[in-house]
Amino acid sequence: MPEKIKILYVDDEPENLVGFKASLRLDYQILTALNIPDAMQMLDDHPETRIVFCDQRMPGKTGVDFFEEIRVTHPLPVRIMLTAYTDVEAIIDAINKGNIFRYVKKPWIEAEMIWAIEEANKFYMANSMLAEKNDELQKAYNELNKFAYSVSHDIRGPLTGILGAINLAREIDDIAEMKEMLFLMEKSVKKLNTYVLSMHDYYSMQRGELKITEIDFTSLIDELKAIYAVNSTINNVKFNVTVKQDEAFLCDKAPLRLIINNLLSNAFKYQDPKSANKSVDVRIEVSDGKAIISITDTGIGILESHLGEIFHLFFRSNSSEVGSGFGLYNVNSALLKLNGQIEVDSVLNQGTTFKVTIPSI
Amino acid sequence: MNTEISFIIIDDSELDRFITQKFLERTKQNISIRTFHGAEQALKTICENTDEKDRALTVILLDLQMPVMSGFKFVEEFEKIPVEIQQKYVIIILTVLSSSNDPLETNRILTFKTVKSIVEKPLTHEKLASLLKHVTLARNKLKN
Repeated sequence: MPEKIKILYVDDEPENLVGFKASLRLDYQILTALNIPDAMQMLDDHPETRIVFCDQRMPGKTGVDFFEEIRVTHPLPVRIMLTAYTDVEAIIDAINKGNIFRYVKKPWIEAEMIWAIEEANKFYMANSMLAEKNDELQKAYNELNKFAYSVSHDIRGPLTGILGAINLAREIDDIAEMKEMLFLMEKSVKKLNTYVLSMHDYYSMQRGELKITEIDFTSLIDELKAIYAVNSTINNVKFNVTVKQDEAFLCDKAPLRLIINNLLSNAFKYQDPKSANKSVDVRIEVSDGKAIISITDTGIGILESHLGEIFHLFFRSNSSEVGSGFGLYNVNSALLKLNGQIEVDSVLNQGTTFKVTIPSI
Repeated sequence: MNTEISFIIIDDSELDRFITQKFLERTKQNISIRTFHGAEQALKTICENTDEKDRALTVILLDLQMPVMSGFKFVEEFEKIPVEIQQKYVIIILTVLSSSNDPLETNRILTFKTVKSIVEKPLTHEKLASLLKHVTLARNKLKN
């Protein structure tokens, strides 16, 4: 059962307090105070109080004064004024200065009181939900701000490079030098292109429902093999694939492909060009309703202190400019979608193994 | 006056290193250039080459946004090394600037005492000329 709504009732006549408590205590948790200082103390002790009733005619401060004060110090509880029929001035003040939710005339009748409480409670809930949503939105907005900044910066990097190259081209006469620069410019444009593609991946992994189909890993890997065959030959990287699938596997192909593709791309990208024995090994085994995908490379490895951060957005572990900081973040988002897990094992200058486990849906 | 000025280019972008280097070579001054794709290697080299007898000034052209060690971190670390070494260098930031919403507060880099100025990419002939004027002034100051 949800906790009872907490209500504070302030009145200088004890019999009023007793009457109030007697009629309402079964449905609500009633706090009472005989004077303004006690009432303030009550609000401090019970910050979760949702509704405050106060009589207008109190010794010392009036109900309006009290409301005016707690409007600033305790803005959350909904304020309701209790007053005798003829106190029109006080009511106007309470509305304008105390910003009260409503007033209930004395002597009150129970049905009217309960109705006032229920309405006030709805108002309180709507307000606090709004505040919560507002916080969430603010957080999302800040994230978006950071994201937009990083993206615009990362796109402008290669662009200003190319612009700089064009400036420099005006002064270059030597063809060989020009060709060297064109080669570097091409690399920048390719990098930009990959970046935009990864951004698209990022977007598609953040939303959308799963489209489940039956996955044949052999044909999936054959598609990818075709992409990496050129890289494998040119850079002399041995590419070994073994697939063992004896049972059906149900999954969304897009995120699955994204995971394998990104890990493969990294395995080829972070090879040590000076090494004589370069290889990328892929092992896929489907059994007991899950697929285990291991991708092992003989590359430069990952610094141990970086392992905890490699799945963070925009993190780059290597100072060569090949990475965008999207790849492994997208892998992780895709794994979240598929309810999968990833383990990484890396030795600097020897290689890295990523092991992915994904359940069939 | 034909005193050598030496340059260290720290930038993770290969194209940007190439451009800066070529622009510098084209100034026809007597200069030497070293390039680094990561700030930590540059810092290591600076710390190791402490026995240089000459008082030639070295200009560090530093990019800010780099993986592993950013330009900010580099300057922070640089200001921890002995002052005698620091004095041989002038740091000039060469980076992509964003006009608004900059959470990294690029301008904060100018509060470091070893950072002399900031030049926005892309580099042009004119920007380099004014940069070199700056450096020559600093060098003359060092000589006096």
